[in-house]
Amino acid sequence: MRAANWSVFRVGLAMVMVSAFLTSCATEATSRFYGKTEAPDDQVLRYVSGSEPESFDPAIPTGQPEARLLMAIHDGLVEYHPKTMKPIPAIAESWEISPDVSEYIFYLRKNATFSNGDPIKAQDFVYSFQRALEPEFLAKNAYLAYYIKYAEAFNSKHAFVRRPDGTFILKRELAGSGQVPEVSTEVYGPDTEFGRYLSSPERLTVPADEKGRAALFEKDEKLKALTANAEFVPVVGSDLGVEAIDDYTLRIKLRQSAPFFIDLLSHQFFKVVHRGAIEKHGKQWVRPENIVTSGAFKVKEHHPYDRIVLEKDPRYWDAESVRLNGIEFYPLEEATTMMNLYKAGSLHAVYNAVPPAAWIETLREFKAEYMDHPAVTLQYYTFNVTRPPMDNEKVRRAFALAIDREALATWRKTTKPTIDFTPIGIFPDYEEVRDRVYTKELAKQGRTLDEWKAKMFDPERARALLAEAGYPVTRSGNSWSSPDFPISEVELLYNTSESNKAIAEFIQAQWRQNLGLTVPLKNMEWKTFLNVRKELDYRGIGRAGWVGDYMDPFTFLKLFYTKDNDSSTGWYDPKFDSIVNEANRELDPEKRFELLALAEFYVMDKQPVLPLMTDSTNWMKKPFVKGMYPNPQTLHPWKFVYIETDADKWDQNAASLMKDRDESVLSHVERLMSTQTAREATSAESVAAAQQPSNE
Amino acid sequence: MLGFILRRLLIIIPMALLVVSVTWILIRAAPGSFYSEERALPPAIEANIREKYGLDKPFYQQYMMMLGNVLKGDFGDSLRYQEQSVNEIIARHLPYSATIGALAYLLALFVGLTAGIIAALRQNSAFDYGSMAFAMLGLSVPNFVLGPILVIVFSLWLFWLPPARWGGISNLIMPVFTLAAIYMAYIARLTRAGMLEVMRSDYIRTARAKGLDEKTVLLKHGLRGGIVPVVSFTGPALASLLAGTVVVEKVFAIPGLGNIFIQSVLNRDEPLTLGIVAFLSILIMIFNLAVDISYGFLDPRIRYE
Repeated sequence: MRAANWSVFRVGLAMVMVSAFLTSCATEATSRFYGKTEAPDDQVLRYVSGSEPESFDPAIPTGQPEARLLMAIHDGLVEYHPKTMKPIPAIAESWEISPDVSEYIFYLRKNATFSNGDPIKAQDFVYSFQRALEPEFLAKNAYLAYYIKYAEAFNSKHAFVRRPDGTFILKRELAGSGQVPEVSTEVYGPDTEFGRYLSSPERLTVPADEKGRAALFEKDEKLKALTANAEFVPVVGSDLGVEAIDDYTLRIKLRQSAPFFIDLLSHQFFKVVHRGAIEKHGKQWVRPENIVTSGAFKVKEHHPYDRIVLEKDPRYWDAESVRLNGIEFYPLEEATTMMNLYKAGSLHAVYNAVPPAAWIETLREFKAEYMDHPAVTLQYYTFNVTRPPMDNEKVRRAFALAIDREALATWRKTTKPTIDFTPIGIFPDYEEVRDRVYTKELAKQGRTLDEWKAKMFDPERARALLAEAGYPVTRSGNSWSSPDFPISEVELLYNTSESNKAIAEFIQAQWRQNLGLTVPLKNMEWKTFLNVRKELDYRGIGRAGWVGDYMDPFTFLKLFYTKDNDSSTGWYDPKFDSIVNEANRELDPEKRFELLALAEFYVMDKQPVLPLMTDSTNWMKKPFVKGMYPNPQTLHPWKFVYIETDADKWDQNAASLMKDRDESVLSHVERLMSTQTAREATSAESVAAAQQPSNE
Repeated sequence: MLGFILRRLLIIIPMALLVVSVTWILIRAAPGSFYSEERALPPAIEANIREKYGLDKPFYQQYMMMLGNVLKGDFGDSLRYQEQSVNEIIARHLPYSATIGALAYLLALFVGLTAGIIAALRQNSAFDYGSMAFAMLGLSVPNFVLGPILVIVFSLWLFWLPPARWGGISNLIMPVFTLAAIYMAYIARLTRAGMLEVMRSDYIRTARAKGLDEKTVLLKHGLRGGIVPVVSFTGPALASLLAGTVVVEKVFAIPGLGNIFIQSVLNRDEPLTLGIVAFLSILIMIFNLAVDISYGFLDPRIRYE
């Protein structure tokens, strides 16, 4: 009796649950939008900040979710373009770049103020950069600023070396001339004493503490001899390559040519902070009652782990164009919780990679909301080129050709296949130039671009290459085998994770099927893995992934740059470096891209890595949220975002968002761009005028 | 009695220190540290961090430093939320957990006791079977299943209640019920069993023989003995309910202490983890003590020396 009651109850409950699911599915299918879709009439966007933000101090957090919050409350020299992520004027109204791209002069707008009304001046930027780079400040993002002259030396507690005669030992005296990047020693822009110091040849720096120095000297006799009798002068903040020429003119001097540096400046690490608030409150300056901000929004309330309430700052220099009245950020961690809140209508958007894989098939149906544009990431495998058999280019190419990347991407659902090192669909201008360069280069080898693109998957060619390398592949029944190949010398190393394992197994199966080689898999805990890969202690193949720091192909190509590069392959080629150096000294973007494409072709032809796929952004937003675009980093400059209450104007097709023209956003961007366009026009004229007499 | 309480209070301090020490060792044994990032830090930056936090000092020195701070009751500042002190974080997030915990406790106690008493008095009735079947269900469905089911039905299907986050009363309903379910079920079963046993005992028969009315017999004599097992269960249960429950806080995104605790471990935020562990261990020990003391009042047979 009791048991019977029990099972009746269970069946009843199950029926309730099933009907609940069915009804919810049925209502979804009939609705165009996912869940509750009602535009709020208060112009307040409800969004997620990821886990509780580490800090409101722009120089501390490193996470991308936090970046989205920080860019609402802090402003910098430049701002991201809402679609392309390229820099557009912010506090800097316009800027000029020296011919060798190692010096930038910024002209600040005079009406920019902090949230307490204090004007923002060039000195505030000098202070902000010096503070963030102080070694005691412990900024994990400090490496982003290492392009600034002496930033790395200052941040890593180095010292200049002064001879008894008062002169400083220069970097080039120690290293060969090729080792130090060539930069102009002439002052660009206004001539000041500090400017002349910044433009003088780069000084040598050594660790400021004796222990570190002794360790270095032990390894380097030449350095030890050179620095005998010398005095060590610690590098301080005021030695940094940043100068306030006057209240509204800022100079940044780099240690090398870097056209991409301007892209980097949109990053939160380079935002301006208020000296007074920091000196008065110390670490506590970020509390809502103390914080002084510079962005379009200011902090109204902060309830840790619950919500962060921002409101529009009427003092912001561009406040007239800011359309949202406020933003509420909810610190949420669980992807399903975010999706539930989104469906219930309490969240207006989620950030990238939130929708769980199992939901994606369903979510794709909601075309007005679901977005899977490419993200600025790359997943690839590295080859350890320092050990056989992977020291053989042909073997590496054979392994790369034997993977069906299309099948891999279809199975992964949120990725796109790739064979290049700069991800697809991220740098369209670069890709266009690259196709042209590749066509030309391939013609020299008697190949075509289509043949190159077919490298995506060509098992026959792969087997032929392996045979050429001395490991013939023979057919036995339905499968292949390559008995001569030293398979015991190769393994596929990855860091422990479910998805890494699944991908590794997929690729292992591909190699077994197409080359007859069963590569053993090996997994390691993250920290151990990093070390083994970096020290090249792995055999054959290792897993790797890279996320671009800024919107320029160099953020990927730099992995192969210089002898101690971060590629974890052991591959280094001075020819690649010289092409890259030439490219980065080039101001004309098209010519620069041509050179970078040449460099990419050069390295990919040698195949030290095996690119697999580019992730897609994989996120959703309600159709009434406008001005928020599926750009490659899903970072949104909030001052362009607004809520459309007129349902007729809601987004219908998220796939075309990047192409659709929203006149109100476009005119806002154009208005901001106009000051820089005017500056470029006048400087082009003055260059032309200066060249005129010499031509005659 | 007083001696007993004093002795127990004195034990709490070394016990808490022991718990903190073991936790500290576990944190240090776990791979990774608070400054680990997906992208490897340049060696210079890592060296700066290690120096500032004394991580370059010998192990025993770091341990003594930690212990010294804990003895002073000062856990220092959080490593991740640098502008906030550990004590401040605990004080701020405890009320969220305590609100949900207290409401769940009251709900569980009210429903559980009522159902248990009625079921015991009407043994083998439909109510008895029905409520005990429900209790069985409450015990066997874990809260990480119950929570999401409630969310699907009441938030995503009916759109009646918000699916997560802190807010008004409507935000409290599902988390409180999810949290209370298992306690409710357990209390109902314990009460029923306790009451059944007590109501058959000699002193109840004596009470009835004295001519007391049934209400007095039940509430004054029966209940006192019947709920002893409930008290020994709910004492420690109250401590853990008030201090936050990880699963429910996670499922409903409630900014309570349980959630913060898990985050602090994942962030390797050592001072915060130690602070919460010390706080929780002391809280649980004090509640256990309170339970032990209350036995004396409930059951005249128990005496303390």
